[in-house]
Amino acid sequence: MARKAKRDLTMEEQLARGPMDLPFLMLTMMLLGIGLLMMFSASYATAYYLEDSPLGYIRRQALFAGAGVLAMYFVSKVNYQTLRWLAIPMLVGAIALLVLVLPFGFGRSTVGAQRWMYMFIVSGPSFQPSEIAKVAVILFFASRLSKRDTEKKRKWSKRTLTGRTLQRLDNVGFLELVPYGAVLLVIAGLMLLEPHMSGTILVLAGGAAVLFAAGISLRWFALGGGLAGAALWFIINETDYMTSRVQLWRDPWSDPQNKGFQTIQSLIAVGSGALTGRGLGKSMQKFLYIPEPENDCVFAIVVEELGFIGGAIVLLLFSLLILRGYWLALHARDKFGALTIVGIITLLAVQVFLNVSVVTNLIPVTGISLPFFSYGGTALMIQLAEMGVVLSISRQIPAPKND
Amino acid sequence: MRENIRDFGGRQEKRQRETGSKRLVFRRTVLLMLVFGVVLFVPLLRQIWNIAVVNHEYYQRLAVEQQTRDVPVSASRGNIYDAKGNVLAMSATVYNVILSPRDLVNSISESKFKNEDGTTDQGAYSAAIQARRDLITDKVCQVLGLDREKVAERMTRTNSQYEVLKTNVEGEQADQLQAFIAENKLGYSLYLTPATKRYYPYSSLAAQVLGFCNSEGGAYGLEAWFNDTLEGTAGRVITSQTAHSTEIYNSYSEYIDAVNGYNLNLTIDATIQAYAERTLEEGIKDYDVLAGGWCIVMNPKTGAILAAASSPEYDPNDYSTIRDEKLLARLEELKNSPETTEEQYAAAVAAARNKQWRSQAWNDTYEPGSTFKALVLAAALEEGLVSDSDSFFCSGGARVAGWNKVINCSKLTGHGAQTLQMAVQHSCNPAFMEIGARLGTEKFYEYFNAFGLNEPTGVELPGEAGSQIWPQMSNVDLAVASFGQRFNVTPLQMITAFSAVINGGNLMEPYIVDSVTAEDGTVVQKTEPTVVRQVVSQETSARATAILESVVADPVEGTGKKAYQPGYRIGGKTGTSETTVPGEVVVSFMGFAPADDPQVIVLLAYNTPARSAPGSSTGTTGTYISGGNMPAQKIGPLMAQILDYIGVEKHYTESESDLADVSMPRVTGVSLAEAKQALDERKLSFRTVGGGDTVTAQVPSAGTAIPGGSTVILYLGEEPAETVVVPDVSGLSYEGAKTRLENAGLFMRASGSSTYYGNSSKVQSQSVAGGESVAAGTIINVEFATPQIDDGYLYTG
Repeated sequence: MARKAKRDLTMEEQLARGPMDLPFLMLTMMLLGIGLLMMFSASYATAYYLEDSPLGYIRRQALFAGAGVLAMYFVSKVNYQTLRWLAIPMLVGAIALLVLVLPFGFGRSTVGAQRWMYMFIVSGPSFQPSEIAKVAVILFFASRLSKRDTEKKRKWSKRTLTGRTLQRLDNVGFLELVPYGAVLLVIAGLMLLEPHMSGTILVLAGGAAVLFAAGISLRWFALGGGLAGAALWFIINETDYMTSRVQLWRDPWSDPQNKGFQTIQSLIAVGSGALTGRGLGKSMQKFLYIPEPENDCVFAIVVEELGFIGGAIVLLLFSLLILRGYWLALHARDKFGALTIVGIITLLAVQVFLNVSVVTNLIPVTGISLPFFSYGGTALMIQLAEMGVVLSISRQIPAPKND
Repeated sequence: MRENIRDFGGRQEKRQRETGSKRLVFRRTVLLMLVFGVVLFVPLLRQIWNIAVVNHEYYQRLAVEQQTRDVPVSASRGNIYDAKGNVLAMSATVYNVILSPRDLVNSISESKFKNEDGTTDQGAYSAAIQARRDLITDKVCQVLGLDREKVAERMTRTNSQYEVLKTNVEGEQADQLQAFIAENKLGYSLYLTPATKRYYPYSSLAAQVLGFCNSEGGAYGLEAWFNDTLEGTAGRVITSQTAHSTEIYNSYSEYIDAVNGYNLNLTIDATIQAYAERTLEEGIKDYDVLAGGWCIVMNPKTGAILAAASSPEYDPNDYSTIRDEKLLARLEELKNSPETTEEQYAAAVAAARNKQWRSQAWNDTYEPGSTFKALVLAAALEEGLVSDSDSFFCSGGARVAGWNKVINCSKLTGHGAQTLQMAVQHSCNPAFMEIGARLGTEKFYEYFNAFGLNEPTGVELPGEAGSQIWPQMSNVDLAVASFGQRFNVTPLQMITAFSAVINGGNLMEPYIVDSVTAEDGTVVQKTEPTVVRQVVSQETSARATAILESVVADPVEGTGKKAYQPGYRIGGKTGTSETTVPGEVVVSFMGFAPADDPQVIVLLAYNTPARSAPGSSTGTTGTYISGGNMPAQKIGPLMAQILDYIGVEKHYTESESDLADVSMPRVTGVSLAEAKQALDERKLSFRTVGGGDTVTAQVPSAGTAIPGGSTVILYLGEEPAETVVVPDVSGLSYEGAKTRLENAGLFMRASGSSTYYGNSSKVQSQSVAGGESVAAGTIINVEFATPQIDDGYLYTG
């Protein structure tokens, strides 16, 4: 399409052509670069010994990274206001995919959960519908919550008991939470059917972050947190599966060859890193000791090769990216933009935190990948597209007035 | 939201609400920013710091433990050589074939059998695994001859990484498998690990001396005693490895060379050892000996052990197998007995194995019996307590204060009055009881210790037994000890002590390893003969040696005369000892030669020849059970062989040289007178057949070696007989047999226990049986035997 002259543009369109946030872009690109390098190093041995070519993993990952950067660029060009209405079809689509993955997906034989499916059901690149659900939930919540203040308050009939009850519920702020709660319940429920515990945690965290930032009364969080805590306590103490997981977390050496294996190997990798590491590419633990080192445990290889210093630098970059993300949220042109960024960045932060915590045995094992680092093409692409959304929002931040 | 806002209109309220909520969003976002951007990273960094830096060493150790592959490089075990450089023990590389069923499964990547939907095509995957299993099974069964089903069963043990298919696979088979593995890239699933196998080329020769190796290294004999010397130092190859045990060569790799073991060069001579073992086995068979025996050959001047045989023996190549017929028969009997429990049988098998692995020559003790009299003699001579003018009277027994029975002599009728030499020749017990009494307990004990009988000899062999002696020596103890009874020493102690009597008086430290050499021949350690102490003077030794020579050399009085070998000056002493265990008796002979310069000393002993009847003194084969009859008979030819082998020249006495072989001259065609002259020169007699004057034919033909003094036949015109019939000469005396054979046109070469073929010697066997036809002039070997010698153990303690 022919580029319109600036004067022909609406106010909205003019804003959408603003410059994207360079610090955020740079941090993203740096993490992506380091991530690809480390994933290559971590995957080398596995690829060499178990696959056909030592470059097997990196080739695919680099391809998707390229596609992801393009996606990021295009998404950043899109006026994010369109996402307000796109959120609803996305959410519907995500739910549909989550339903479809149950019969058509795969993964039960390898990880014991039905998490992946092909883009065109029977062929195409594989992806996790949960990745899409995360974004959809955030966008849907952000778009709906951004209208919270402008929405006209609905009056309930005072004559009927139902009316009065609803009025009371509305007054305490419960009623407005119902749609969000319903969406979260449906999506979390579907994901638990796969089952996909870590994905569920992330969706809940993303949704909760948006709700929190939108100003939902703290008491609901206290209540939700209380309920979640109680449920967690119950699960940990009353179900054998979780009890043994917690037991294993406390003492991975109780089953060193089997269930504790991944944790122990990951700890050995981190522990052999010392301050400066064995040197780039010189990890020993990647030689088939750590199961799938290119995946969830890639950070352990980072510390083994680059030491505490290398690991700290990577975490610092993540921290800066996250801080910059929130900074963009604080300066976003509108509430929708702010909430969207909060959702996306919180999701990223939680993912980084959980992944590194698992690798260092700070929390019990759960399968969460490290953004930009872990192997997984479509996940990386979606991740980069999310960054594109943040960049798109950053374009519409008004330039500071120089006066 | 504040209360006063309510008073404003709707629009205003809305704007107010909006600003308020914006501020709220701002505040909450800042809160999230702090928590997710900063706070959450604190525990992460702290945890990484703790693991990577604080506990680094702990994790580093775990890492090294699992990532390092430390493969020992076995050092090659040193060889054992005999005195002539023959290999008695050597090592060769063999291989163990190891299968890893787990890695076999892992070697087939499941990811290559993915269906479109990501699930595994189980059928194709299993088929691929099975195909590889079949490939390996076919090959190993073909090459190693293993049972297919067993191999197939082990293939299914997918949890195992270490299934030993076969051990000790040698050269060619190993090469075939290596090629197969390389060709099919099966290195993870099937591999060969090198190991060493010990070979003993001479089979059972010197088995107890050499011992054997088990998986731990040397277990018995020299292999055990010199294990550290022989085994060398293993090297190491330290490399990194993947979790699948694949080596990675990187900067962490390290190589330490193996240092091969040293070689042992023994004083044992395989030839002498073979002679000794053969003689031992022969006697065991001939005399129906129940508990084996031993034979030690030593150089008395240096203490170098030239041979050390012990029966029952075994093959160190296959050390668990029991080969001795008597042991086997006993086990078989035990097995067939219904009362035997399995444990009892297993214990009996273990005991039998232990018995064959032990050497009776130094691991066990015995009562030396009369051989010990040589030591008493030397002590008494040294102390000047006896002299040649002494007379010892034997009435067939003697009494000792403190003992209410008569202690008998071997000759119950008594030896009568004897000189010192005769007392030794007779092995007279009452005489030695008197000599012992002259020494007294104190001196006796002093010499007993001086002869090294109360201490280990110091030989470098494992398990040298200690002697068992009287706690406090009484008169009675002294009396019986004077003829070598009621105390126990090892045969090795005894031969070492006896050597001191005949070698000039020095107690030597016996040794069996002449030198230790490195692979390249450098001598690492050389054993020099060690004198422990001088026990008796040179003069005493010379006198004792002379008396001991007469024990063998005196054809009338000597109890050791059966050991006599023409041409050699053999000395010695018989020994017969009944132990306190009923029925157990050790018959032994200690022989040495040449008497004027002893170069070998031999102790030959048989442990418990079977008796013809309980309590009888005659063995099942008809031989009187005594040292003078059994081992003396066997030790003579053995010593002759050894002396011949080590190059001791024969010196015949006059009567012996008359009997030495001479070459038959050519007399055919010459006159009878000339023939007579030629034959006289060679001390040959002749008889003539026919009436001519010229010799027309002769028996034997020219050049034939015949014993001196034989009567040859000269034909004067008549034709000689082609064949003659051999007469039966058994039971005849020397002269009788010779005459009868020569009359038949044959010649006799006499051999046997004594060359004094007086009328007491009778023919025991002849090389060609009576009644057979042979060519005229054939030399018939005839063995003579002296009648029984009274040197029994009739000591009724």
